[in-house]
Amino acid sequence: MQHVTTETQTAVSNPNRQAVAMGLLVLALVGAFLVSLFVGSVRIPLDEILRILVGATPAKETWATIVWKFRLPKALTAVLAGSALSVSGLQMQTMFRNPLAGPFVLGINSGASLGVALVVLAVGTTGSTLLAGLGLLSDFGIVVAASLGAGLVLFLVLGVARRVETMTLLILGLMFGYATSALVSVLLYFSIAERIQAYIAWTFGSFGGVTWSQMRVMAPTVLLGLIIAWLSAKPLNALLLGETYAYSLGLSVRRARIAVLVSASLMAGAITAFCGPIGFVGIAVPHLCRSLFGTSNHRVLIPATILLGGVVTLVADLIAQMPGSQTTLPLNAVTALIGAPVVTWVILRQRNLRSSFAG
Amino acid sequence: MKRIFTLLLLLMLGLAACSGEAAEEPTSEPAAESADTAETIAEPTEEAVAEPTAAETEPVEEVEATAVPTEAPLAEAPTSNLTDGCVENYDESVDYFPQKTAVTHADGFTVDYFNNYKVVTVAAPWLGAEDSATYLLVQCGTPAPEGFDDAVTVEVPIHSFVSMSTTYLPYLDTFGKLDTLVGVDSGSFAYNPTVQEMLAAGELVELGSGSTVNVEAALELDPDVIMTSASGSADFDTHPKLEEVGLTVVLNADYLDVTPLGRAEWGKFIAVFYNEEAQAEALFNDVVSEYEALTALTADSAERPTVFANTPYEGTWYMPGGQSYTAQLFDVAGADYLWGEDESTSTLFLDFETVFDQAAEGDYWLNLGFVFSLADLETADERFADFAAFQNGTVYNYDLRTNAFGGNDFFESAAANPQLVLADLIKIFHPDLLPDHELVYYRIVE
Repeated sequence: MQHVTTETQTAVSNPNRQAVAMGLLVLALVGAFLVSLFVGSVRIPLDEILRILVGATPAKETWATIVWKFRLPKALTAVLAGSALSVSGLQMQTMFRNPLAGPFVLGINSGASLGVALVVLAVGTTGSTLLAGLGLLSDFGIVVAASLGAGLVLFLVLGVARRVETMTLLILGLMFGYATSALVSVLLYFSIAERIQAYIAWTFGSFGGVTWSQMRVMAPTVLLGLIIAWLSAKPLNALLLGETYAYSLGLSVRRARIAVLVSASLMAGAITAFCGPIGFVGIAVPHLCRSLFGTSNHRVLIPATILLGGVVTLVADLIAQMPGSQTTLPLNAVTALIGAPVVTWVILRQRNLRSSFAG
Repeated sequence: MKRIFTLLLLLMLGLAACSGEAAEEPTSEPAAESADTAETIAEPTEEAVAEPTAAETEPVEEVEATAVPTEAPLAEAPTSNLTDGCVENYDESVDYFPQKTAVTHADGFTVDYFNNYKVVTVAAPWLGAEDSATYLLVQCGTPAPEGFDDAVTVEVPIHSFVSMSTTYLPYLDTFGKLDTLVGVDSGSFAYNPTVQEMLAAGELVELGSGSTVNVEAALELDPDVIMTSASGSADFDTHPKLEEVGLTVVLNADYLDVTPLGRAEWGKFIAVFYNEEAQAEALFNDVVSEYEALTALTADSAERPTVFANTPYEGTWYMPGGQSYTAQLFDVAGADYLWGEDESTSTLFLDFETVFDQAAEGDYWLNLGFVFSLADLETADERFADFAAFQNGTVYNYDLRTNAFGGNDFFESAAANPQLVLADLIKIFHPDLLPDHELVYYRIVE
């Protein structure tokens, strides 16, 4: 009871601060988005990019294709991925009341990894002509395999979620993750070097592979997840106080839990399928937002994580591109390398981490 | 417990190795002795006619000419290398390798000949290797020379061979040595029909590769030579584990030779282990003359279409360097490689948009990898359809010869046959120059 009052107090005492922070995040997101359109491994003059964006013909025709078909979908993918993973992570942290939880705590990424590993690695050992005929050897095949894997896990999680309590779900997700990585190791053991490299390349994560036709599948899925997430903000606030308490508030805990699970899994699954397992963002951004906004109210945190998540992934991708060079770094290396010190610093500064989880 | 077991195993192996040597010694020594006695018998009778010193240093024909009556017991100098069997009457003055190989194009290895042994040196077994690898090839039936402690000693000609790369198979096939093949790394990569038959008949052991190579199966097989490539990275390399248990591993660095003819010359590297220098020389000379004839065809073609290669994987486009093997072939085939200005011999890791910027209007698009149709390509990423080559239907892949197991002959025999690859490329870039040539490795992607 006491906790609710503290929270409303902080929320009320800092409305200005929150509005300013939200405004700054919007500006940062727009800024990072524009920069990622302007900067790439091909040097295109700024005025030419502006001409392309307003629909005029640039000096070189390929530049228009580069901006419209390469940079724009990539920047959009980065924003969607950052938002989806961050909100998904926030939902999981609240539901499991665990600061270490993230979008992949249910084993969604393990399912996707297993799907990809089966397709990429099994090719070397079984007849490859069948898979080749199905187009499963291409990047698109990987998307299909990852979606199937993630979907299967989602299905299992939802099936189990009806019968067990929340903490059991957490442990089941963990166990499923171990079992899957063991299976992937066995597959790796029996595979040839080139196939292993192909699998490892997928685990590096990338936003560049998403084309407009793939965007037509990915964006609606992510948006649906975000809408469900926004609708579940109130039950999430109640869940923060514990399931029993939420129940006493007249909340259908089971229904809320299913809504959160569906939303988080849809978003994590879609992003993993199209971009590979992007680590770190989903765990770090919710913490950064709580610290930045000084609240654990999900009506504030959900829009905040959407904005900050987008900014973080756009910046990480810009760094991974290493402007000025023709080579790229693995995205996952960048998110963790830049992100870990930042989060460490924030966590150390914020001594009352526990209170965010109503401990 | 495990350690004790390993020690026991090593001890047993050591004993086995010792007894093996002990068994060999008596057979080689009497041969040497009999040669000695032959000389001592021959000497007294010869004395009056010819000086013994001359007989030792001068070519053998002279000995034959001067010592006709007592010729029979003397070691006879061979006129060709012994491709089967051992020397029976060893004479240290005899050159047992009258057919020698001369390395003319390859940078990666050298062969030095001595009377009864040859020294094969691989300057750098992998990229950036600090030490060279030396192989001492001793003619069977003759004593091994002293002073080669660092070298791996192999008695030649060899009778059993394990091939850890499909690129060695075409040479074994040409030299008629596939019957000596006893093992491969993985059968599913092989294209050669004979090798596939041998696999189906269970005549070949599949050893695996890298750190997961089946050491026990390799020990059981105990081949004369296991030939493999090396990368210098412990995770991917096969040779450290095999060398550890005392197997004879020969490191082949063919893939490091960046000129098409240099890489093809590595057939000689395999031939020296079989004493098949004559065949290797003839084969390579044919390759060179055909390759050079084809090069001359395009030398002054005024029109040089532009070309680019490969496909991206997860955002990175692996483009061959401007001086790489692939780039050199494009160049001599009369095309302008779009990254030809680049100085590197290895692969460039490029961003998709970089490649698009440079290659959007490129005339030809080659070497796609696992791509079967233009529709496949467009499904994978619709941006591929924006390339002019895609729209013009000038996309070619190297998968014409692929078997049901996924083995692609391009990766197996193209290195040995640069003249065939070159002919294919000329046919693609300048069809009128080779009207009668039918594509061997390449296929138009439709």
